[in-house]
Amino acid sequence: MRKFWLLFIIFSLIISTTVIKNSTKKFEDEIFSTEESLRVLNLNYNDVLLEHNYLSSSERLLEFQSLYFDNELTQKNINEIKILIKKDNKILIKDLETDK
Amino acid sequence: MEENKSRIILEDYKNDFIYKKNKSNLNINFNRIAFIFFIFFLISSIYIIHLIHLGSRKNSNLEKNLSNIFGKELYRADIVDRNGRYLAKSVSSIDIGINPVEIIDQKKLLVNLKLIFPNKNFNEIEKLIKKNKFFWLEKKISEDNYDRIMKLGDKSIKPEEKITRLYPQKNLFSHIIGQIDDGNIGISGLEKSLDKKLKEINEPIKLTVDEDIQYLIRKELIKFNNIFNANGSAAILMNVNNGEILSLVSLPDFDLNQRQKIEDVNFINRATKGVYELGSVFKTFTLAAALNEKIVQPETEFLDLEKSIRCGGNTISEYDLKIPSNLTAEEILVRSGNIGSVRIGQMLGLEKFIEYMNKFDLLNQMNFDIEEMGVPLKLRWGKCKLATASFGHGITTTPIQLAKAYSIVSNGGYEIHPTLIKKDKTEIKKRILDQEVSSKINNILRKIVTTKEGTASLANVDGYEVGGKTGTAQKIINGNYSNKKINTFASIFPISNPKFTLVVMLDEPKTNKDYIYTYRDGSGKYKGTPFNTAGWTSVEIVGQIIDKIGPILATKYIEVE
Repeated sequence: MRKFWLLFIIFSLIISTTVIKNSTKKFEDEIFSTEESLRVLNLNYNDVLLEHNYLSSSERLLEFQSLYFDNELTQKNINEIKILIKKDNKILIKDLETDK
Repeated sequence: MEENKSRIILEDYKNDFIYKKNKSNLNINFNRIAFIFFIFFLISSIYIIHLIHLGSRKNSNLEKNLSNIFGKELYRADIVDRNGRYLAKSVSSIDIGINPVEIIDQKKLLVNLKLIFPNKNFNEIEKLIKKNKFFWLEKKISEDNYDRIMKLGDKSIKPEEKITRLYPQKNLFSHIIGQIDDGNIGISGLEKSLDKKLKEINEPIKLTVDEDIQYLIRKELIKFNNIFNANGSAAILMNVNNGEILSLVSLPDFDLNQRQKIEDVNFINRATKGVYELGSVFKTFTLAAALNEKIVQPETEFLDLEKSIRCGGNTISEYDLKIPSNLTAEEILVRSGNIGSVRIGQMLGLEKFIEYMNKFDLLNQMNFDIEEMGVPLKLRWGKCKLATASFGHGITTTPIQLAKAYSIVSNGGYEIHPTLIKKDKTEIKKRILDQEVSSKINNILRKIVTTKEGTASLANVDGYEVGGKTGTAQKIINGNYSNKKINTFASIFPISNPKFTLVVMLDEPKTNKDYIYTYRDGSGKYKGTPFNTAGWTSVEIVGQIIDKIGPILATKYIEVE
């Protein structure tokens, strides 16, 4: 009986070692592929951000404005600019205080 | 019975130990089993530890992977503005070369290459292959073509990864960002001063500058640089409370993507490297020091002030001969009186004057984030030097040091350190001037813009409470004073709770007979520049700049509850 248990333990250790080794390999592969796809996505994101930065730069926006709109940009006086505050489903209008 | 059995096994072990196997014995040796058990236990433990490690480790930084791909020599972190917009970005590119010696099947390779690059001249390529020397087939290849060409699996195809530094804002930040050479080494600006950090850090470096503000200031500065036909100009917008620079422009500038070798001195960074005599803007510091030492008060009267005095063989005279002979300390600053400022300086004394100029960091090279910093000229102090320096004559500094000093004067008297790099921590501030002194000076600076006697009414932009001091100085060329001017206006706004300082300096401006000024008090328009002074040049520019950037500053950086 003791031999049986010893053999059983050895056998189960072999099996568990194999299973654990296999699962670590699987996890490693998964981690690697996730990191790789994240890296690619990150690179894509950076490229898109670069493109966005370029297209939405002040210079380009003013170019687009003069290209697509006839009207000039109108300058707003600071006193005309107000702050809208939504509080308890009520909208409060506050002056933009430049001195605070 | 069990005890007997144990004894027998021990004997067997003895036999084992001397390598005498008992083949007939079917009993399993206990120690051998223990050993096997131990080995398997050890292997399992290693894998369990590995599994735990994999499960618990943090996501490795993706930028780190990027740096591994390029290799350390090629990696360079990006630079972004305060809103995360790219100012400098590293982009990888791959060049494809062919080493003809390693070609396996030339015909097959050429057919495949024709499919990938149908527009290439393959007669030329064949000739290059026949020469048996390495050549570049295609530079900066697209990702798709790279995949296709590498799938050919030909050993002769040699890819080489390169880094390209892109500056999407072109000229906008040329003096701040600087340039790198072909070996990925920074040669000017932040690219130089942060060279090591840019190669090590795994995330973009965030600056304090704002791209939109920089664009608007540069646009106005270019416009007025042309109107006043100046050799160059500089503008600095700084947060007076923490020294963060929102904009730093120096004209002329250059497109960083062109990788030009700039040798013309006219392209120097006038905001930081240019050392100038900036004139009457120094009078503010003389009065601030005297107020802080409680030697004078704004209402202290100075009677019978001469129109000119002599010192060491030189004559010091008033710019405006109509200036009254009896003035208060406040009126001296508002009307920019030279003789009155000399008198205040003399009351302060040489030692105290030098002490305060050093506290404002005006006399020596300032520590800054870029290395292109000017060194103010060393002065031989004496009675006459004190007299002239009191009203800003014969004393030099850089526009950025002027912006720093005005920030200190206006922010309640706290020392600040101008910076281009965004920091999370706020420094503990050292006090240089009393709060009361700062408030008094701010009130006087406001009067310079709002009163008829002041010299800066063209900057009185409605709603922004602009205050400031003008400075018109003769430019020193080859050690002598010339007729050419340096016109400066150092402004603070909003004066009731100062947030920003904006310094504009014009290098050798000229008058423009066609430019139409619109008076800020609504009294009408005026055609042509009557005098080549800061009041008619730099002040107008500051007014126009605040008109454009004011709404952004007032709304973008406001904290809504």
